[in-house]
Parts: sequence; structure tokens; C-alpha cells
Amino acid sequence: MKRLVLDAEGLVQPVCSKTHIAYSFHLAKPGGKLWIDFAYEPKNLEDRERSRELIAAGVEKYTEPAQRELVMDRWESFLPLKNLITVSVDDPARHRGAGHRHDPEQLLQLGEEEASPGFVSGELIEGLWRVTLSLHAIVTDDCRYRLRIHHEEA
Amino acid sequence: MRWTACELHSHTFHSDGRQSLLELAEGAKSLGFECVALTDHNTMTGLENKERVESDTGMTIISGMEWTTFYGHMVTIGLTAFVDWRPAGPGDIDAGIARVHAAGGIAGMAHPFRIGSPMCTGCFWEFEISDWNALDYIEVWSGTFPSIKTDNARAFRLWTEKLNEGYRIAATSGRDWHAQDRTEEPVSVTYLLLDDSKDGVTERAVRALAAGRAAVTMGPLVTLELRSETGVFGIGACVPAQDRSTGYEAVATIDFGAREGKWAFPDAGYTLALTSNLGVIGEADASEEQTEYGFDIPGDGLLWVRAELKGTVRGVRTTIAFTNAIYADSDQA
Repeated sequence: MKRLVLDAEGLVQPVCSKTHIAYSFHLAKPGGKLWIDFAYEPKNLEDRERSRELIAAGVEKYTEPAQRELVMDRWESFLPLKNLITVSVDDPARHRGAGHRHDPEQLLQLGEEEASPGFVSGELIEGLWRVTLSLHAIVTDDCRYRLRIHHEEA
Repeated sequence: MRWTACELHSHTFHSDGRQSLLELAEGAKSLGFECVALTDHNTMTGLENKERVESDTGMTIISGMEWTTFYGHMVTIGLTAFVDWRPAGPGDIDAGIARVHAAGGIAGMAHPFRIGSPMCTGCFWEFEISDWNALDYIEVWSGTFPSIKTDNARAFRLWTEKLNEGYRIAATSGRDWHAQDRTEEPVSVTYLLLDDSKDGVTERAVRALAAGRAAVTMGPLVTLELRSETGVFGIGACVPAQDRSTGYEAVATIDFGAREGKWAFPDAGYTLALTSNLGVIGEADASEEQTEYGFDIPGDGLLWVRAELKGTVRGVRTTIAFTNAIYADSDQA
């Protein structure tokens, strides 16, 4: 039986870039499997003008003056700018991995025998678990995410 | 001691790569590598079947992880346990490097001048480093055909500046290899000089890089040694203050047979230069007919020296290979 242990939604803005949002939840029984259903949208910044402004600001900040014109000549090669939120998991005793990838919808599982790529398989232990959302970049005015966690009990 | 061809920056589908560890190891082997460090973003689970891949391919897989933080990417290798990147704010990387060292690993800046967020999140190094000696290496060449890229030229300059300031930091290349896409571009190799101990290749490779026993190349393997009346000093070594001399014989060796058949630079018009904190202190034309090149170089004021091989590749005059530095303790030490 899958038991819902966490169901959260949130709305984040560009100022939330480079922040972490952590959710803690209690796993009352050991064993079984954890299902983490995470999604965020939009993925891409569709506004070309805004994209160009952000790219120009990045080029100004990160490249040397002599390079800037050349880099800006191909500014469209950086399109589309993307939101990036990654998920990592810690059980009460140890780190249980991360999924550093761009998919805006991820159904992740952690179990004793197997786990999704990036995550550490092994027995689920009772206690306070933590799922961390790492907001590497939020480029759209708003980005909505949903995190839903089920415990499939043994 | 043996020079071993290593790829030090790679990814699998355990982060955002599009290859398995087996595919990575097979791909690396076909390019003449003997060793590959898996440095997935913020996870080490791609190493789960490391032993099987090693035995299937004959390759050595070095454990690692790329700290993919908000303020810079840092490649860490040689550790077997996860060290948490998430607490690292802009002023916390010294503590982060110390935690990597405590876990038995070493740490290097990855592609420090690649354009950063939001184009490539955290790719530009923005961490403040207080103790540059704690940093083990700088990935001065990133990607394929790295020597012609402006970001890499900037990283190479940073390395040189730090050497001039008296820091002893190694320099490496890393492809940042995400998929088995074919490339016609030159591929760079970091050769590490492994000691002859009975430890595993991983331990010896990490020890070699920590000691700066590294040479980077897109083609022939260039090595260097300094000879004085008191001894012979290889790449990464330091001439102690009491053994300093007013001059040295520097001998650069070019192995054109390295990774034979995996690269070709026809009509390269090679030139070999010895670069140091005193500027260029030796220069010679080089060719496949000659292996050893001797130079008499000054010892006074010398802090470090390295060899650089230049040549024409795809119509561009560029650096093809460089060694890490040989150091000399300051007179005042």
C-alpha cells in the first residue's frame, strides 16, 4: 500500500535562484520503497527579449571585454534559458543521493534493492527524512513546483 | 614510475550524462586512455558496478564527484564517500576543500571561466579561495580541442599567475564528457606519473596529481626534468633551498609514440618552449626525429619552470602539450 507522506506545492521567483528548499517528513515504518514525484513548470523562458537581457548581463559579468561582442553575436546559441531545480535525499543516518538532471518531471524511487539513477539503494529506516530542492536557476517570473512523496510500505 | 593516460572529468546517466559507466570506459579505452575518473554531478552512484567495468574493460575507474554548486563546479577525486556540497556558500570553499581532503580526496576547479548562470548554472567559479595551496589542481583545459578556447586560455593564465605568486597547484585537462558522441576534434589527455608502490591505480593516480606529477597533451607526451650537481628533479618536484644552483640543465623529452594512432598533427612545425616565472627561458624547434631537448637555464630567481609544445593544428598555431611545473624553493626560505 502506498501511503502519502508529503504533498507540497510552491511558487518561486528568480530571486530564489541559488537557494535550497528542504522538506522533512517522518517515516513511521522501516522498509519498503519511497516514491518521489517531482515536477516544475515552466521549464524554459520563452520571452526572447528577456532572455537576451539575461544573456547580455551574464556575458558582461563572466567574459572578458575583448570577448563580449563575439559572444553576443551568437547569443541565440544560449537559448532557451532554463529553470533548473534538482532533488536530493537524506535519510536519518546518511545521504541518499541526488538527481542532477534537467527533466522537469521526475518520478524517483528509493528501495532496498534498487533506486533511480543518482540515488542510493538500501533499507529505508524509520525516522526523519529530508528531501532538498536545489534551485540552481529560476529564470521565469514564476516557477511552480509540486513535490509528492509516497511510502510504499513493505 | 609510469606515465598513465587519464581522463579526469566525465559523467554518466546517474547525473546528466547520456552514457553508462561501461560505455564511458569502452569509449575511453578506444581513445587510448588507461584510466578515467567518474565525476558525476553531486552523486557517486554511477560507481556501483565499478569493479565489473574495470574487469570487463581493463580500465581503471577513479571514484569522484563534481561538486555542482551555485558558485562554481569543483571536481573531487579519490574519495569513496559522499562529501556534501550543499552547505557551500560563496565564502565556504576552503572548508569544503578541507572536508574533501579529510575524506581522502583531492579537489580541483572545473572549467573556472566557463560562462555562468543562467546559461550554465554555477559553471563560472565565484567562490572566494583564501588558501590557494589547499586547492590541488585547476582544470585549465576543458572540452575537446581545448587549447583554442578563450575560457581555457583564461584558466591557463590564472594557473600561471598563481605559480608566479609562489603557489604550487597542478593543472589538468578534463573533457567534461557526457556522451559517446563522435568528435573529430583533438582530445586532450592528462598523463599522471604513477609511483611503483603496490597500492591500487586509484591511490597512485590521486597521489600523483596531488604531487603535481602531471603532463597534459592533445598528442605527444612531453615531460621535463631539471638536472643539477645535487640531483635530478622531475615534474612536480621542488629543488630544496640548500640545493639551489645558479643554473640548471633542463631536459625535455617528447614521446611522439604516446597513444600512437589516436592523433595526428601533420606539418605541425613543432616548437618547444620552457616557460617560467622569469618568462620564456629556452626555446627550440622540435621534430619527430628528436626525443630529447636540452637547455641551460638560469637558477637565480627561478620559482618554477614548465615545458610547452606548440604547433599548427587544423590551421591554428596553438599549444599542443604542456607539463606541470618543477619548483625551486625560494632563496630566503
